[in-house]
This record gives sequence, structure tokens and C-alpha cells, in this order.
Amino acid sequence: MRNVIVFAEHKGGQTRKVTFELATEARALADTLGGRAHAVVLGRGASGLAERLKAYPLDAIHATEDSDVDTFMIDPVIDYLEAVAHDAGPSLILVPNTMYGRDVAGRIAARLDAGLAADVTQFSIDGGTVGCVAPKLGGVAITTCNFKNTDYGVVTVRPNAFSAQAGGAGAEIVSIEKPPGKAYTMKIEEDVEEASGEMGLEEAPVIVSGGRGLGGPEPFETLLKPLADALGGAVGATRAASDAGWVPYSLQIGQTGKTVSPQLYIACGISGAIQHKVGMRTAGTIVAINKDAAAPIVEFSDLMVVGDVFQVVPELTRLVKESASA
Amino acid sequence: MKIVVTVKLVPDPNAEKKLDAGSKRLVRTGVETVLNPYDEYAIEGALKIKESLGGDTTVTIFSMAPAASKEVLRKALAMGADDAVLLTDPGLEGSDVWGTAYAMAQGLKKVGFDLVICGGLADDGSTGGVPGALAEYLGVPGFTNCRHVDVADGKLKVQRETDSGYQVVSGPTPALVSVTMAVGEPRYASLKGIMGAKKKTIATLSVADLGLSHAVGSEGAKTEVAVIGAPPVREKARVVEAPDGATGARIIFDLLKEKKLV
Ligand SMILES: Cc1cc2nc3c(=O)[nH]c(=O)nc-3n(C[C@H](O)[C@H](O)[C@H](O)COP(=O)(O)OP(=O)(O)OC[C@H]3O[C@@H](n4cnc5c(N)ncnc54)[C@H](O)[C@@H]3O)c2cc1C
Ligand SMILES: Nc1ncnc2c1ncn2[C@@H]1O[C@H](COP(=O)(O)O)[C@@H](O)[C@H]1O
Repeated sequence: MRNVIVFAEHKGGQTRKVTFELATEARALADTLGGRAHAVVLGRGASGLAERLKAYPLDAIHATEDSDVDTFMIDPVIDYLEAVAHDAGPSLILVPNTMYGRDVAGRIAARLDAGLAADVTQFSIDGGTVGCVAPKLGGVAITTCNFKNTDYGVVTVRPNAFSAQAGGAGAEIVSIEKPPGKAYTMKIEEDVEEASGEMGLEEAPVIVSGGRGLGGPEPFETLLKPLADALGGAVGATRAASDAGWVPYSLQIGQTGKTVSPQLYIACGISGAIQHKVGMRTAGTIVAINKDAAAPIVEFSDLMVVGDVFQVVPELTRLVKESASA
Repeated sequence: MKIVVTVKLVPDPNAEKKLDAGSKRLVRTGVETVLNPYDEYAIEGALKIKESLGGDTTVTIFSMAPAASKEVLRKALAMGADDAVLLTDPGLEGSDVWGTAYAMAQGLKKVGFDLVICGGLADDGSTGGVPGALAEYLGVPGFTNCRHVDVADGKLKVQRETDSGYQVVSGPTPALVSVTMAVGEPRYASLKGIMGAKKKTIATLSVADLGLSHAVGSEGAKTEVAVIGAPPVREKARVVEAPDGATGARIIFDLLKEKKLV
């Protein structure tokens, strides 16, 4: 595989930083492999996003505003992606490691009889062989997985693992033809945003996360949000908190929630269960505030402050705000 | 309606996980094999649908796993499933996502179904790629990450979780759905269920039964693990008692400053 195709996940043209991270990395990979770097942007708002992507070092941006993409679940997306892949020739297909990205990855891998590598944080290319580096088994191992027997390799890439760098602009925007003879059946009747307007958790540089220790929904608003705002970050949560209905599921971090790698993770009233740990252990700096010095989170934090979140967090917010205005 | 639930058999999630540096596979010796916890939710979802539809709705358990794990499937039968099929063959060893989905799809076609229900992810590999790939190879709609599934008149209406909220999606059967933990806590097997499970059938399928047109197992796999390394170790946490909020906050703030995070 020589070429690289980036699947630009977006909603109505709004996208996350990871799209630009992938666009940047696609150039580097395509240069190493001696191929071309493509992006695919589908559905309502695609043209606007395609224009924005021109600021990144891609060769071609394939776009369509076809309304089927927003009316029917996933099938039109796979058809378009397949069409671009066949056009581009043997390629590495980069998809963000989000809930939606994982769906796209599984389906396009099967459609193209391709290999799939998940949650990749780095690439290692040796001759023509593409290796995908990813933490595995809850982080007890880092594996490099090579593609073989296949013209296409599908990769879900962890947000925040690569940096986004505009430049080398000038990609042509190509409109994609609708693959003929398709009838779609999975109809989207309603699409409800529960955490709209919030910064995407996966791309937040700082996450202030809360668990059962917060005791209810209010402290997420009154305690954690102000600290997250002061640090320029977002609020996250454990499954215990989302199961209790204190926050929407979309804020949940862990094996059944989001996988995040912020520069700073502040865990407030979180015990550090294995299912939570696998979603955040690669964060740069991990600070825990917990009443219980023996909580498992101490095993993978840089700093554990043994204390009450209700006392520590407001003081910390005050210090951060003071330093920002100083 | 014939419902088939796909369950993976995984090393006990509570046991410490290790990779064997030689074979580059998960060490399974000495660790109990159990139903993938996420698939217990899939079974629960299936049993709920069976209860709501009544009549001649059946729930079949389908797993691709080594023959030695066959008896683990009894737990699924004890929860209330009607029978089970184990796809097992030495030739399937070393299958990747592609090979797993491809072989399973041919097996599922043999078994027959109106609805396939998958868990959201496997605790051991946890790529979450299999359900989508399966739907593709089965050539049926794939409703992923469902927290609620309604079946009426052979049509589906699901509520599915998305990255930022949820969607309501409708479509026809035959179809595949994968469920999240929000479908409801898996039921416990009753004593009657456990006794009854002993009499239920666990049929087996082998590669020869499938009529595959591609090589599977490690030979056919499209990915191979080339290198295994240890992750960078985090230094032991500094543990500091904070007698009051201000002290605790100051300690954290100093660290953030030192790391240039404020
Ligand atoms: C199949 C499966 C999948 C799962 N997936 C996920 C997942 O994706 N993400 C996830 O997070 N969990 C997941 N879980 C749940 C996980 O096992 C834990 O139950 C959960 O993470 C615990 O959340 P918690 O730390 O908020 O609560 P607890 O474990 O109850 O911890 C609360 C902590 O708060 C501390 N505390 C209490 N009051 C205060 C105070 N005033 N100040 C300071 N500290 C205080 C306590 O000392 C304690 O350590 C999953 C479980 C299963 C079985
Ligand atoms: N070997 C297998 N046998 C049966 N079902 C499987 C197997 N592998 C994956 N699955 C199904 O696919 C889901 C997601 O698994 P994965 O994509 O491997 O994370 C699981 O919850 C199972 O329902």
C-alpha cells in the first residue's frame, strides 16, 4: 500500500482536531510510502470542511454533500469510501478512534477484505511494510502490528497522538460520484446531541474528571466545570457517574467510553478501576484527589493528594484563575 | 424469529493480563476462560426480545473458540438461551479481525438467523471491529451500539449511542445489532436454568463445514504482531496528605507549574 486516505469525521461540517492530525500524518506517511495523500469528506457541510482541509498538506480532497449520508446510517459512507479507495489504489485508510470511527473501520475493512489495526498511536514503516504501534491489553504491552496479505490497511488512530500542522496547501477538491444501484435501509429517525457545544473529550488538552466521590450531578457543574474552564479543558466522568445519570454517557471515559490522552488528567473522587484506567492511563500527567490513600488510582498517578475534593478543587480553581490573570 | 447471539470466550477480565513474548499471544494458561462480559449484555438483550415477542422466538448462542472452552457456553444456556453452536477448528487459530468476522459470517449463514446480536467489544482484544465487519460479510444492516432494541412485525427500531448523544434508527430484518451495557444488567441463571442447560445442545462446526474461499487462521490473517514492548513506566506516585483544601490545592498547583501546565 502506497497511498493514504483520511476519513474526515464531522457533523454538519464541524470537525475535531483529530481530522487535522490525520491530514498532517497522512502527508508524512504518503511521502515515506511514495504515494498520494487523500481525504474523504461526506454529507451535509462537506464542502465547507473540504475548503478548510485545503490548508493541510493533502493531494486530493474527495467531497460530496449527498443527503443520503445524513439520512441513512453508515451504508452510504462505506460505499463512498470504497469508491475512493478503489480509485486511489492500495492504501492505508486512517479513521479516528471514536465510536463512529470504529464502526466505519470495521465495515470498510470487511468491504475491502482489509486488515484492521486499532487504537494506533504511532507508525513504523520499514520498506513497504506498514507497522502500527498501539497500546494493548489495557496498556500492559505496546505492540507493533504489520499488515500482510492485503492491498488495504484500515487504522483507527487515537486522537491527540499526532500533531496537526497546516501548510503545503493546494489540494484539489474532487467531487465524488454516487455509486450506482444502492438502496439504503437504516433510516436515521432522530439524531440527538446531548453534549453539543462541548469541547470533544478526546481532543481536550486537559480533562478534569469526576467519579462517584462527587455524590451527585451538581458538583460536576459547580466544582469541576470551573476548574476545567480555568485550565482550558473539558469535564469527564467514570461509568459510575454516568450510570447514576449525573452526566451524559458521552462524558464517560474508559473501556466502554472514550479513550483519552490529554496532557493533564485530574481524577476527582475516582477509585481507578481497570475499566476506567484503560481509557486514560496514557495521559501525560495524572493527578488524583481522593480521600482514600489506598485507592487503586495511586498505582498509575503522578501525584495523589489525599483529601476531600470539595475542599481541594475550589482552592485549586482559585489558584489557577489567579495565575491566569496575573 | 430466530435470534443468534455471538459470544466470545475471553480470559477472566479480573485476572492480570500478560502477553507471551514468544508466541505474541495473550497468555491463557492458568487464567479461567469466561464469557466476554459485554456479551452477557447481548444475551440479556436477546432474552428481552424473546420475552417481548413470545411465540416461537428462539435464542441461539454462537461462538468461535477452541474446543476446550465448550462448557463455558453452558452459562449462556443457563441464562435462558435455547441452544448453542461452537465454531471450532485448529485452522482458525491466530485469526485477526478480518478472519474472525469472515469465518463467523460463513458459520452464521449456515446456522441461519433473523437477528444477530453482538456485544459492543471483546474484553481481551477490544477492537470493537467485529460487529461492523460481520454485518458487511453477512450483507445485512448493522445497527451498532444499541442501548434499546424494539422488534415489531419483522422491523427494527433501535436507540443507539453516539459520540455526543444518541440516535433513533429504523430498518428491516434480517439484521445485526450490537448492544451497549445500557440494554440492562444481565440476569443471573436460576437453579432451574442451570439444571436445564445441561440438557441443551451445543453443536459444533468446523472449517470444512463452511466452504471458505479465503485462507483463515494465522496464514490468512491480514495483520500480524511483529513487536511487543513494555509501555514506559510511570514513576511511583507522590502521595501527599492534604489536611485542608488550600494545602492540597497548593501541592497540585506547584506540580502544574513545574510541568508548565498553567
Ligand atoms: C464490563 C464493565 C465495563 C466498564 N466500563 C467502564 C468504563 O468505561 N469507564 C469507567 O469509568 N468504569 C467502567 N466500569 C465500572 C468500573 O468497574 C468502576 O465501577 C467505576 O469506574 C468506578 O467509578 P468511580 O471511581 O467513580 O467510583 P468508586 O469506585 O466508587 O470510587 C469512588 C472514589 O471516590 C473517593 N471519594 C469519595 N468521596 C470523596 C471525596 N469527598 N473526596 C475525594 N474522594 C472521595 C472514594 O475514596 C473512592 O475511591 C465498567 C465495569 C464493567 C463491569
Ligand atoms: N471469536 C468470537 N466468537 C463469537 N463472537 C465474537 C468473537 N469475536 C468477536 N465476537 C463478537 O464481536 C463483539 C465485538 O468483539 P471485538 O470486535 O473483537 O471487540 C463481541 O462482543 C462478540 O459479540
